[in-house]
Amino acid sequence: MKHQGKCAVEEPQIIIDVGDGAAIPKPSDKGLVSAWRLSFAGALLVLGYLLVFHPDPYLRIFKFIPDGILITFQVTVCSIALALVFGLITGLGRISRNKYVNLVASTYVEIVRGVPLLVQLFYIYYALGRIVHVPDLLAAVLSMSVCYGAYMGEVFRAGILAIPTGQTEAARSLGFSRTQTMYYVVLPQAWRTILPPVGNEFIALLKDTSLVSILGVADLLRRGREFASESFLYFETFTMVAVVYLIITLVLSKLVSIMEERLSHHVKR
Amino acid sequence: MVKNFVLALMLVAMTASPTLAKTIVFATDATWPPMEFVGPDKKITGLAVDLMEAAGKEAGFTPEFKAVAWDGIFAGLASGKYDAICSSVTITDERKAAMDFSTPYMQVKQALVIPKKSDAKCIENMKGKTLGAQISTTGHFAVKKSEGVKDKSYDEVGLAFEDLFNGRIDGVVCDDPVAKLYALKKDNYKDAMKIACIIPADDEMYGVAVKKGDKETLALINKGLEAVKKKGIEKEILTKWLGTAE
Amino acid sequence: MSNDNPIIRITDVSKYFDTVAALTHVSLDIGQGEKVVIIGPSGSGKSTLLRTINRLEDISTGRIVVDGFDLDDKTVDINKVRMEVGMVFQSFNLFPHKTVLQNLTLAPIKLKGMSEKEADVMARQLLDKVGILEKADVFPAKLSGGQQQRVAIARALAMSPKIMLFDEPTSALDPEMIGEVLDVMVKLAREGMTMVCVTHEMGFAREVADRIVFMDEGQILEIATPAQFYTNPQHPRTQKFLEQIL
Ligand SMILES: Nc1ncnc2c1ncn2[C@@H]1O[C@H](COP(=O)(O)OP(=O)(O)O)[C@@H](O)[C@H]1O
Ligand SMILES: [Mg+2]
Repeated sequence: MKHQGKCAVEEPQIIIDVGDGAAIPKPSDKGLVSAWRLSFAGALLVLGYLLVFHPDPYLRIFKFIPDGILITFQVTVCSIALALVFGLITGLGRISRNKYVNLVASTYVEIVRGVPLLVQLFYIYYALGRIVHVPDLLAAVLSMSVCYGAYMGEVFRAGILAIPTGQTEAARSLGFSRTQTMYYVVLPQAWRTILPPVGNEFIALLKDTSLVSILGVADLLRRGREFASESFLYFETFTMVAVVYLIITLVLSKLVSIMEERLSHHVKR
Repeated sequence: MVKNFVLALMLVAMTASPTLAKTIVFATDATWPPMEFVGPDKKITGLAVDLMEAAGKEAGFTPEFKAVAWDGIFAGLASGKYDAICSSVTITDERKAAMDFSTPYMQVKQALVIPKKSDAKCIENMKGKTLGAQISTTGHFAVKKSEGVKDKSYDEVGLAFEDLFNGRIDGVVCDDPVAKLYALKKDNYKDAMKIACIIPADDEMYGVAVKKGDKETLALINKGLEAVKKKGIEKEILTKWLGTAE
Repeated sequence: MSNDNPIIRITDVSKYFDTVAALTHVSLDIGQGEKVVIIGPSGSGKSTLLRTINRLEDISTGRIVVDGFDLDDKTVDINKVRMEVGMVFQSFNLFPHKTVLQNLTLAPIKLKGMSEKEADVMARQLLDKVGILEKADVFPAKLSGGQQQRVAIARALAMSPKIMLFDEPTSALDPEMIGEVLDVMVKLAREGMTMVCVTHEMGFAREVADRIVFMDEGQILEIATPAQFYTNPQHPRTQKFLEQIL
């Protein structure tokens, strides 16, 4: 008759699905022909084939873009790190009991969500330029993080709210302060619900870094455009650029899935 | 209903209006003042536009301008999206291999613009510095050719000037008419920038590009350009836009 | 038990959730080492009363003093008070991301600055006491409800509280597991712990309680010893309630 006892401690099974990135492989996709494996093997094959059998122009293109790949990589990693910080602060701000903190965080999210990323990039890049002299790479990273910080803030908020209040009450009744409760009890649990959607954001962010090429940041896309507009080899160049993006994206999505598995491992029953 | 019908008729009449003149669609990256740019009335205007209009009158064609981003402008010509490119295209051997060019209509040089407070003389003093230019323009090529200088390419030259103004890059290289306009005439910039030098190189010629083998279009444009030059109309236009006629 | 120097002093407390009165003018003193069982129909305010004692709920009016600390006093660090007041919930609320042992050691290490070793030794003693030592390194999700609730009691005890609050600790359990949890509670009572328990377990109340408090509609209607309460209830609503549950 009283069976709710066992359900009461079930971990929250909230799935927050925000995907517009490459699918993050799930443990259930372990089979030899998962979509991830197929795309990854395919991309590598295409790359290898083009480089070996059509070194002209593909090898030339491939030699032209490495510094672009490095920039794309740098912008992505730095933006992810910073966006996580912004996201956490925003997420906490959005659930804050302080009226003003809450209002500031919500307004930030509202504004960022209402303005296209490309416009934000231009705006932050050039507006910032008028006020302080920040180097272009940093400006690009800041712009990306400000935008993705807001998106991630929403994910953090949802993830934190998904933790049952009983957890907070248990921690508070032991004597943990609000902050300690968040740090020791809520966030470590929230991570598990948060990571899949945040992983999606990572991948979306990686792809969106291509927008910074518009600011003249010499990323993968810009290097490709430079090569193409100089050599008139548009098709070949963008084939190469697309394949390289795909490979990077697939690697990142694999990393995220490994992280997810790690994180969920110790609570598996 | 009737109203709509009349409207539709008018539209058809307009597009099919029996001007005997052939319409030539020119692609232009209208971000290159004073050569070609979008004016306050949102129409594409500039020296090159005036020139083509004058040439059209002489040779009997109607020029129509279409705004296209620079880094895809040659691809669009190859795929037949427009008849010609009139967008301050410098005639180079590489480009000649890919398309045909009209007789040159203007001679330009590459100018280096730097902050007013900089004491660099020319591009050889810019080692270790970053110079901006519009993507795949001859200015961009000049930067890439200079050893020890880092290049940064932009979709539009105006963005390069803004970055120079904001201190993110150390100089901009572009065609001299454009450099003069930005560095000497624009309100904010003219107090902050100067033209350091003209980068020594072979003279550059602007030409109108047409699809390889498009003799008909090329002949019309050449005919118009020649007449404009002969009648002195070209001088008028140059004086109007550049202040001088050479 | 003597109420001369009560460790919990609840004076004329009312609590409103918006307009809903959960408690109205409740007063209750609880002595050091006393065991009080709170009984009453669902929604009568038992949980709310219990939760005001460690200020999981703020009160609207009245005054609560716990171990000399006035809970409404702004200078009182509520976290310090909470360290002295352990609480056990109906739904256990173990930390699922920590092992059983870590559930016990987390608070003493972080809040009392206990060394990991010390905390480990202490936690194992407590787990032994509640009869679950062999599960020390297991995650809570692997335990049965009864085992989880015993861990939850041990977790509260790990802070060496002076007072223990129990909010229907056996209501969420399968019947066969109720006994193991009550056994632990009885043991605790024998050691002299001050306990306030919301529970309908009559056997437990008879065996352990010094006083039984009957609540209905946010008020305390009757306070009596177990013998009096079950055999000779005074208030008509107590009588009615007992008729229903017996
Ligand atoms: N967080 C809350 N918000 C609004 N009303 C509440 C809240 N908690 C309790 N109540 C109300 O207060 C009254 C007492 O509740 P509670 O103390 O939980 O009763 P009991 O534990 O005796 O079942 C009920 O009417 C309940 O609906
Ligand atoms: Mg209750």
